[in-house]
Amino acid sequence: MFESLLTAFSYLLSDGINFFYLALGVVVGVLFGIIPGLGGATAIALLLPLTFGMAPEQAIILMGGVMGAVSAGGAVTAILLNTPGTAPNAATCFDGYPLTKQGKAGLAIGAAASASAMGGIFGLLILVMVLPVAKTIVLWFGPPAFFMLALLGLTSLTVSSGNMIRGLIAGCIGLFIGFVGYDEIGGTERYTGGNDFLWDGLSIVPVLIGLFAIAEMLVLFVKGGTITEAGSQANIRFSDTLQGIKATFKNIKIVLSGSVIGSLIGAVPGIGGVVASFMSYSFASQITKDDNNFGKGDIRGVIAPESANNAKDGGGLIPTLAFGVPGTAEMALFLGVLILHGLNPGPMLLIEREYTIFVLILTMLGATILSTAFICFAAYYLVRIAYIDSAILIPSVISVSLVGAYAVHNTLGDVFAAAFFGLLGYLMIRYDYPRITLVIALVLCSLMERNYTQSMIMFEGNWTGFFSDNTALVLFLCSIGALCIPLIQALNKKRKNSGGTIE
Amino acid sequence: MRFLIICTSILVILAGCSGNTEGEFPQENISIVIPYGPGGGFDTTVRVFAPYFAAQLGEDVNVLPQNMPGTGGRRGTASIFRSEPDGYTIGILNLPGLVLPSILGEKVDYELKQMSWIGRIESQDYVLLVQESSDIKSIEDLQAVDKITFVSIGYGTTVLAAIQIAAEQLGLMDKDLKFLTGYSGTNDQLVALVRGDGNATISPISTAVQYVRSGNLRPLVVTGNNRNSNFPDTPTFSELGYPGLTDLNVQRSLAGPPEMDPNVLSKLRDAFLRVMEDPEFLAAAALAAMDIAPLNGELAAAEIDANFRYYEKFKTNLSNPNQL
Repeated sequence: MFESLLTAFSYLLSDGINFFYLALGVVVGVLFGIIPGLGGATAIALLLPLTFGMAPEQAIILMGGVMGAVSAGGAVTAILLNTPGTAPNAATCFDGYPLTKQGKAGLAIGAAASASAMGGIFGLLILVMVLPVAKTIVLWFGPPAFFMLALLGLTSLTVSSGNMIRGLIAGCIGLFIGFVGYDEIGGTERYTGGNDFLWDGLSIVPVLIGLFAIAEMLVLFVKGGTITEAGSQANIRFSDTLQGIKATFKNIKIVLSGSVIGSLIGAVPGIGGVVASFMSYSFASQITKDDNNFGKGDIRGVIAPESANNAKDGGGLIPTLAFGVPGTAEMALFLGVLILHGLNPGPMLLIEREYTIFVLILTMLGATILSTAFICFAAYYLVRIAYIDSAILIPSVISVSLVGAYAVHNTLGDVFAAAFFGLLGYLMIRYDYPRITLVIALVLCSLMERNYTQSMIMFEGNWTGFFSDNTALVLFLCSIGALCIPLIQALNKKRKNSGGTIE
Repeated sequence: MRFLIICTSILVILAGCSGNTEGEFPQENISIVIPYGPGGGFDTTVRVFAPYFAAQLGEDVNVLPQNMPGTGGRRGTASIFRSEPDGYTIGILNLPGLVLPSILGEKVDYELKQMSWIGRIESQDYVLLVQESSDIKSIEDLQAVDKITFVSIGYGTTVLAAIQIAAEQLGLMDKDLKFLTGYSGTNDQLVALVRGDGNATISPISTAVQYVRSGNLRPLVVTGNNRNSNFPDTPTFSELGYPGLTDLNVQRSLAGPPEMDPNVLSKLRDAFLRVMEDPEFLAAAALAAMDIAPLNGELAAAEIDANFRYYEKFKTNLSNPNQL
């Protein structure tokens, strides 16, 4: 293995053109990440014809550059405009945008970019470590385990949302929206009213653009002024970004847990990066005890999802190498690139051309670091967006948002969906219902329902089957644990308080 | 004199204009609508095919792939059906994927039989698979097992229909038979079989090859007239005495909207056939693991009728096995 690593390293250094392809990939990746509606999958699909004349390793360098850079770019839009640049950046909005409002956009961008890089590095380290047992990990997760995973996500979420009743209501709305569309197992349409647009269900990006970007613009419209409520442009300093990088190193535990969650979820085909970053966010918000400010501008709420988001790319390679199965959407396209260049993805690739895999791993490593540096330097200029007057900012953001919503599937319906959820989001802000809970419930809904039905078919209607699946059982116990945490915390507090009175 | 010059120049300009609009097809870029998202099999096919098709159509013409996913491919297909029949919008269509909704009694906004068929690019046969560690080593073994659970993608898809038809033809209906549906793609479905969520499945051959080579799954039997080059030791259904399953396959064909100008259509068809003989295209297609099986426009159109006849025959077997 070490030998292949060296071969890969010397290959990368052998030709200057390799660096050019890496840099090109990173620039394209960052740009496609920043623009809402476009993402890694689109970038790879568009670059695909360009690679026809290249050596397979060079094509890998170009694509690896894109894959390593997209998520860091997407975080910038999430932080500055409350619009996720790519779907998995959605969780970054929750705390990134409040930070921008407080005039700490530079800090948030620095933290997001460095957390991306660290998450990417940890994810690839985890990948190298688990490669020998990659197949086993993929096989741990059957329908019962997926169901329990979704249950764990929903449980920890309800626990961590401050107001239980409003959290539950928002969660139920999220589940209800998640049920809209064609049910593949039952074979019936639900709540579509015969409308073709609703047949596929509501896709996540337009919903997020509405709930977050458009809703915030409505708030800004009512309030007037600029996004940032405190400070002025004169206060923008490069040291803000450095502070953000420092914050990431200070919260290395959050980065590590985010990376493990990201790798694990990336490794399981069919879940996707959105769930990875959301799970990491809710996990971090739950284990954080001191000064928990999640949802109101806690830097840890930026670090957690971003580290998971980049770690998932390393994890996504696990099923790719174990079976030739894509773990994520970008990976599905990347497989196409490999096949087009005469490489057969799957276990044989690992045996026959181990060094090719290491070229990819090193490229992605290079890309995460390069894109982080790129964004950190650009942050100094980018954060000025937060100081633009609302009269100019609101129309621009709303147009970018609506075009972004349209670009996802080239459907006008998505534009209306974004507008609708913009109004809903505004009402939720106005009456203080947690939008995060709605979104996570929506993301987990179909995963949860599909795997529940599949499990019940497998168990022939006997629900005790959930407890005979080891992975499912462990995840179930984790959910119970998550429910107990606030109880234990409350008891501890009580004991301390009563202890205080005795003294 | 001046009047004459002005008149002449106006005439020349007009002639120039009409020359542009009524000149030889094609004058502008051609879009190939892909009714599925980027990254899937249909997307790859078009992206490999497009540059060679453009080269055959003329020097200044680009052929642009355009993804339009939604409603299981019906949205994109309806959009192709409704577009101007000028030859500038065509699409790649899924057979029997687009035939099935009509057979299952769903409303569709297109008429496949009326469309202008340009030609078939690919046709893929199916393979019936079990786990490599399974005791089931032949069709007879499968027929002797009491409990069979087929893993499959959702209701309304070609794969589930193929499984249901095979189950009927192999006489498995009176067993303890389950269809574990709902996986989000053929890859997920094959991993589910490796994991043991069920004990058998049917999948298009190209997706399955990897799992067989890595020693995770075992092919029992393939559809089609001949054995597949990837599995030379695996018999066909007709060799085993089930000729009714020979015609199960998935096809990728190009078509435009109905009533296309015959001249335009014949130009597209000719260019298509030249691409199918282009050694550079065939080499690229082989690299992308495509199953090139060209048919000209008339024969590709005839496949639509054949598909309707075949699936109509099994209509009663195709109801949803997990109806709530």
